[in-house]
Amino acid sequence: MAAPRRRHEPAETPPAETVIVDAEIGCGHDGRAELVVSLRWSNGHVSKVVLDTEAGLRLMRNCGVAHLSELAGHSWRKILEESKCST
Amino acid sequence: MAENFGGVEVFDLIIKGGSVVDGSGRARVAADVGITNGVIAGVGALGTDARQTIDAAGRIVAPGFIDPHTHFDVQLLWDGEARPALEHGVTTIVPGNCSLSLAPLKAEHRRGLVGMFQQIEEMPLAAFTDAFEWTWERFDGYVEAIERALSINVAPLVGHSVIRMWVMGDAAQKRAATRDEIAQMQNLLRECLEAGAVGLSTSFVDVDERLHPVPSRFAYREELDEFAKVLGESGKMLQVVPEFYATDLTIARIDQLAELSLAYAIPTTFSPLFDSAATPDNVPRTMARVEEQFARGARVWPQVQTRPIDISFSFERPSLFFARFPSWFRVMRLPRAERLAALRDADTVSRLVQETGADGGRAMLGRLRVRGGEGAPTEIVGRTLAEVADDRGEAPALALVNLSLENDLGVPFLAESVGHQDSARVGPLLAHPLVHVGASDGGAHITSFSTYGDTGFLLSRYVRETGHLTLEQAVRKITADTAEIWGLERRGKLETGYAADVVVFDAERIDRGEEHAVFDMPGRGMRYVRNSIGVDTVIVNGTIAYSGGAYAASCAGVVCR
Repeated sequence: MAAPRRRHEPAETPPAETVIVDAEIGCGHDGRAELVVSLRWSNGHVSKVVLDTEAGLRLMRNCGVAHLSELAGHSWRKILEESKCST
Repeated sequence: MAENFGGVEVFDLIIKGGSVVDGSGRARVAADVGITNGVIAGVGALGTDARQTIDAAGRIVAPGFIDPHTHFDVQLLWDGEARPALEHGVTTIVPGNCSLSLAPLKAEHRRGLVGMFQQIEEMPLAAFTDAFEWTWERFDGYVEAIERALSINVAPLVGHSVIRMWVMGDAAQKRAATRDEIAQMQNLLRECLEAGAVGLSTSFVDVDERLHPVPSRFAYREELDEFAKVLGESGKMLQVVPEFYATDLTIARIDQLAELSLAYAIPTTFSPLFDSAATPDNVPRTMARVEEQFARGARVWPQVQTRPIDISFSFERPSLFFARFPSWFRVMRLPRAERLAALRDADTVSRLVQETGADGGRAMLGRLRVRGGEGAPTEIVGRTLAEVADDRGEAPALALVNLSLENDLGVPFLAESVGHQDSARVGPLLAHPLVHVGASDGGAHITSFSTYGDTGFLLSRYVRETGHLTLEQAVRKITADTAEIWGLERRGKLETGYAADVVVFDAERIDRGEEHAVFDMPGRGMRYVRNSIGVDTVIVNGTIAYSGGAYAASCAGVVCR
C-alpha cells in the first residue's frame, strides 16, 4: 500500500486538462444562436458554459470542426487560440 | 382632492365604470377613478362632475406599467413618447442599464460611448449623429434635455462605464482605479443621484465595438463596494449584468450583490435570466441562491422577461444555427464572394439540400419564417419557408438558398420561440414572488427583434391562456412591485395621492401585435416593433398620452426623482 502523499508533495501525474464533453445550440437573449458547451474540468466537475456567436464560431474554427458533435474531446484551451483559416 | 365649486366636486378627469385593479394585488372592484392636478384624487363611486370623462365600462383600469430595463436613452431625445412602449400601457421606463448612459459624458468620449451602444444595443450611428444636438456633459444636462418633451415618465440609471470614462479617460478601459480616482467617481455618482438618477448600472460581460471589455469590467471589487456605499446614502438601486453564460459565475455574483445589499441597505437587480432547454438547471440553481440570499435579508432581484426568445439569421453573416449541418456551416463561414459562389454552384447546393433530409428540409427548416426588413421581399414577409417553397415549387432547403441569392443574401429568417418558451417552466417562474418581471431591453436590439409588448404578452399568455398568474397578480408584478423595488414613490398604485399613471385595457384582448419592420429611426433606419392590442387609453400624470390608437404628444411625463 502506497504511503499517503504529504501535503506539499506534487501529484504523480499532472492534472488532466479541461475538455469539451458535449455541445449543443442554445438561444441568446440577443436573438442569435449560441453554443452551449459542457466542460469536464481538471477536478472532474462537469459544467456548462454558453458562448455567444463570435466565441462559438471561433471555438469551432479553432477545433477545425463543422459539426457540433465533433467538438467533444477537444481541449477547452482551444478557445484561447488565435483564429485559424476556415475549414 | 377634487376641486370644489359651490359644493360640487369637480375632477379634471374621471374614468367611470371600469373594473379597478389597483396594483396592490387585491381583487378587482367596480369603481371610478378621479384625477386632479395629475394625481389620483379619488377611487370609488364618484358621482361627481369632471372636465373630462372616460367611459371604461367593460374595461380594466390599472396603474400604468413600469418597465425596469430599457435602453431608450437616445430615443428619448427625439421621441419623448418612447414609441411604441407607451401604447402598451407602459408609463414609466428605466433607461441607463448595463453600465451605459448618455451622461455624465465629456465631448471627447462621445464617439467611444456611441460605439458601445452600437455594439451592445445595436443602435444605428445615425441615431446619435442626426437626430439631436449634444447639449450636455453632466447628468443634470441630460435630464434637462429629455425633459423638454417627455410624454412618458423616466427613472434613469447612471452607467458605471461612463463614470469611469469621465474620471479616468482612456485608462478607464485599461486598468483598475486608484484610490483618488475612486473618490472622484464616488463624488460624480453622488452628483448624478442628486440630479435624478435612480441608481447605478454596471456590467461584467459587455464589450465595445472593438470587442474590448467595457470600462466597468476593469473595476476591482473595491470600486463597486465604494459605489454601493454612495448608493446606500439614499437607498438607490444597483443594476448588474452578471456572467449569465455560466450559472456558477452568476451564483457568485448573486452572493457579491447580496453582501453589498446587506452592507449598504440597497436593492440590487440582475438580468438576463431566462429558461433554455440547453441549460435546464440554470434557472432552478439561480433561483435557489436568490431565495437563500433573500432569506438572509438581502435584496437581489432577478429580472425575468416574459417573451420567448427567437433566433434570427441571414446568409449575410455566419450563424451557429447551422452548426448541426456541416455543409451549410462551411458555406456560411466562407468570405462573402466565395459564399455567393458556393450558393450558385449546383453541386454544392445539391449537397446542402441532401443534408437537410429526404424531405428537402421540410421537417428541419420548413417552420422558419421570413422576417420583414430591408432585405426581404414584402410579399413573403411573415410566411413560413415551407409555404414559400410550395409556392415556388421547390424544396424548402432549396428555397432558402434561392431566396437568399435573389435578395443579395439579405433575407432574414426567424426560428420562433426556441428559448424561454415552455409555459410550464416560465409561467411558475414569472409568478415566483422573488422574480422581478422586466428585462425587456426596450429600445435596444432594434434590428434583431422587437423589445416591445412584453406586458401585453404577460397578460395574454400567462394570465389569460395558462392562468399561471391572476390578472391582479400580474398587474401587481409590473406596477406596485416594480415601484417598490426601485423606490419610485407614489407610483404603481391607484390610490388617492398617487401619481395618476393609468392604463385602461380590455382583459380579453390585451396582447402584443405581430412583429413588423418600420423605418422610423433617424436616417430612415429600420427597427422591429410590435403594436399594442386591446389597450384603449394610457394616462401619464393625469394627462391622456395615448387613446384610441393615437398618440397625444401630452408632454406630461417627468423624470422621477
